[in-house]
Amino acid sequence: MIEVSNLRKTFKDVTAVENVSFIARDGEVTGLIGPNGAGKTTTLRILYTIMKPDSGVALIDGHDAALEPQEVQRRIGVLPDNRGLYPRLTAREHVRYFGRLHGLPPDELEAAIDELIATLSMEDVADRRAKGFSKGQTLKVALARALVHKPHNVMLDEPTNGLDVDSSRAVRDMVRRIRDEGRCVLFSSHIMSEVEALCDRIVVMGHGRVVAEGTPDQLAEMTGQADLEEIFVAIAREEAELRKKATFEALKEQLDA
Amino acid sequence: MLEKLGFGKIRIVAAKELRDNLRDRRSTILSMIYPLIGPVVLGALVLFVGATLSAPKVAEHVVVVQGAQQAPDFVAFVREQGADVVETDIEDVARAVRQGIHPAVLIFPENYAQAYAAEENVEIQLIIDSSRLSSIMSIGRTVELVNRFNREIAKTRLAVHGLGPDVASPMTLKSVNVAASLSISGIFLNMMAPFLIFNVFIGGVYLAIDTTAGERERGSLEPLLINPLPRWQLMLGKYIASLAFTALAVLAAVVAYKVIFTALGLLGVGLKVNPSVGDFVLIFLVTVPIQMLAVAVQMIVATVTKSFKETQTYLGLLPLLPSVPGMIMVFVPLQPTTLSMLVPTYGQTILIGQIVRGEGAPLSDLLLSGGATLAITIGLLFLAARFYNREQVAFAH
Repeated sequence: MIEVSNLRKTFKDVTAVENVSFIARDGEVTGLIGPNGAGKTTTLRILYTIMKPDSGVALIDGHDAALEPQEVQRRIGVLPDNRGLYPRLTAREHVRYFGRLHGLPPDELEAAIDELIATLSMEDVADRRAKGFSKGQTLKVALARALVHKPHNVMLDEPTNGLDVDSSRAVRDMVRRIRDEGRCVLFSSHIMSEVEALCDRIVVMGHGRVVAEGTPDQLAEMTGQADLEEIFVAIAREEAELRKKATFEALKEQLDA
Repeated sequence: MLEKLGFGKIRIVAAKELRDNLRDRRSTILSMIYPLIGPVVLGALVLFVGATLSAPKVAEHVVVVQGAQQAPDFVAFVREQGADVVETDIEDVARAVRQGIHPAVLIFPENYAQAYAAEENVEIQLIIDSSRLSSIMSIGRTVELVNRFNREIAKTRLAVHGLGPDVASPMTLKSVNVAASLSISGIFLNMMAPFLIFNVFIGGVYLAIDTTAGERERGSLEPLLINPLPRWQLMLGKYIASLAFTALAVLAAVVAYKVIFTALGLLGVGLKVNPSVGDFVLIFLVTVPIQMLAVAVQMIVATVTKSFKETQTYLGLLPLLPSVPGMIMVFVPLQPTTLSMLVPTYGQTILIGQIVRGEGAPLSDLLLSGGATLAITIGLLFLAARFYNREQVAFAH
């Protein structure tokens, strides 16, 4: 389970994330959606221990990501924003490297690798060096190395970005499988159809804040729109209006003063 | 116990980096060829420059003259000494010398024979080009022959007047050469230390850049950092891999020096000293602390710089820095002091010089220099670990 409360993160004079709170439960797929620059990646980076928040708390299975990074790292499998491979290592060696860093015993590790190669249907590239891998092949390797230690919490940053239909489907199947095993999945996306098809709960982000949260049905009720794409556009428009208003008022205050 | 301290995971990281880099055939082969450049250049210098600068035997010396028919006595004297005299067929002797056709030309003027017969002093010219290093020995030989001829004739003329030969020559100068080598090539021995230290700073540098700045730029550092191990362990694993490659490169250089020195000895060229295998083992051990220091500096630079290219620029300049004291010492040998032992690379330059010249390095200096460099290295490693903990380390800017 992932519990986020009041996260705030700034870079120099830019506020990337402000007062972000939500919960991603076990046995559910939680979608983090929003336009580019909404703060999804920064939020995830705080959750997967690569960034420290200025304030607020991110708990993974009750462990604070900022204070006990190693405890958290043991419990998470992450497909980060950067998912580069080592051109001179084979797919299998990539997965083995991460598995060993997680301290898996050799027998268990090899079995886990074989299983992942089968479920992600990557037999054709398993023993090929990664140089020249397609986007889909690269993603499968990155996904396999993130999942080799069977983490209870899985975070995926834009997993299907730029993928062909087949690879996207492989990712979606994988996500459902993990959910059905009672594990917790949190993934970010700006593709509505994908979120609609996969998510039990949705957290909508805009300008570094959570602007709406709920099941797809709840969100539809809130905005009076049935189509998720419409919901998203409506929320984004509302958000933009609010922002404009706030800026206008701030300006007015300045002028008055 | 070691596993608990994190050595298991450090080993996993180091092993991965070594295997990864060994598969990069071109870089690996290049990194083993670079260390051979120093020994080969040194060998060539000793062989060619050393040979030209070594004195030719009197018997092989040829005095080139213009107007030899004016001075039959001189010609006879030179041939008696075992050298030869040749009349030049080139009119413009100045150009002939400048172009290196003759190392020097001795000109006997028109009035020489007359003045000689009248026992009067007469000026003869020796045309030389002082910018031609290779002519030095030949010029010296010719001057010596002229001086000897002068003394011979003076002796005969004084005898006619009933005077002893020592009247006109109150002093005899004899210089005694105590250099470790037979010829000027000994100066090249002093180049070995700066060359080796250059190797130390270049040997594993590619790996240090590739495993940090390179890994960041390829976007594989972010996922790697999410694995459950403290970042200092990750940094240390990469450090050990780079250090292993540095050590291998320096070892290749040291072995090549031994081979070249032995070959030069077999060819009978110039060097009086040939350091033993034990000396070379000691030289390698002296470089180990600087290897550790060099890789630590490289890790820091690769961590704080913004891109692979920027890192390459800085680390390309880095090897020049520690070579500076060594290069100065090639021409201006400095006396070792306790203080100089405390300075990384400077102390080692002195020590390597002492070992290779066969003077032996004092144990106290070896320990002092190694200890000081190691202490600084440990400090640098702590710094490198701190830089690795920074948030920015994962992201290309």
